[in-house]
Amino acid sequence: MFTCKQVSDSLSKGDYAKLPLAKRFFLRLHVKLCIFCGKYNRQVMDGQDMCRHFKQHEATNCKCAPELQEGQKDELKALLATESAKYPKD
Amino acid sequence: MHSASDNRDQIIANQSQQKVEISPPETWVDRYGNYLYAYAMSRLRNADAAADCVQDTFLAGIKALERFDGSRDIKFWLRGIMRNKIVDQIRKSIKENKVDIDNEDEALLESFWFRYSGIATTNPDPWQFNPRKAYDNTEFWDVFNVCIDKVKQPARQAFVLRMLEDMETEEVCKVMDITPNYLWVLLHRARQQLKVALEEKWTGKDVK
Repeated sequence: MFTCKQVSDSLSKGDYAKLPLAKRFFLRLHVKLCIFCGKYNRQVMDGQDMCRHFKQHEATNCKCAPELQEGQKDELKALLATESAKYPKD
Repeated sequence: MHSASDNRDQIIANQSQQKVEISPPETWVDRYGNYLYAYAMSRLRNADAAADCVQDTFLAGIKALERFDGSRDIKFWLRGIMRNKIVDQIRKSIKENKVDIDNEDEALLESFWFRYSGIATTNPDPWQFNPRKAYDNTEFWDVFNVCIDKVKQPARQAFVLRMLEDMETEEVCKVMDITPNYLWVLLHRARQQLKVALEEKWTGKDVK
């Protein structure tokens, strides 16, 4: 059986999916029966879910995303042109 | 008549030839500059550090370009390089401002309940609104991005590395030079502060 410390370690690391089936069962049972671990599990899961959705949003659209200034872009282009010349294409 | 294994070999050969077009480095700034800069800003929250990261990423990309096999979009390959640069920036920032455990966090770490259970609070406050209902609203995620700023260092660095960059616990602890227990405390702080900021900005109410 799991202690609360073992459960919270596993939930925080997010490695419960890698546990063998029997251990995963007892971990889930502990989370169902223990009020404190149940609440903690929900906090961790909600946090992970929210971050996952945020990263999907980042990848698809971000209208207020900050942009490089034109001056920064020009400097970068000049730098990349110089560096590229050191690695000529075949 | 082709055998099943001949057909399978042909499919694999075709797939390996379907490589993504590799855009030349001279075009990277216009094509990927803003995307990478926005990504770095969301993680580092510092314009100079983010610009440095973009520059370092492009330079590393040029050096490594001949090893790039074209099996995926170069934008995501560059983002992979940038991820390492972001971690390097955070590591550098932590070396310059060593993570010190404040009194409140120390008390929490030493508390009987935390040492017994590894759980920082047994009774988290309920959300003032249901965040899941806002997931389809793009404005919510713009607000979320702004609210990450409200999380104080070093909790924000822990949050970025563990929750946004999906780094393993051991890796995060190594980068930040902290114990796993303190990482749990920092993530707890990050969740608390982010929640308060989101409730305030999204519902427009001062929930303090």
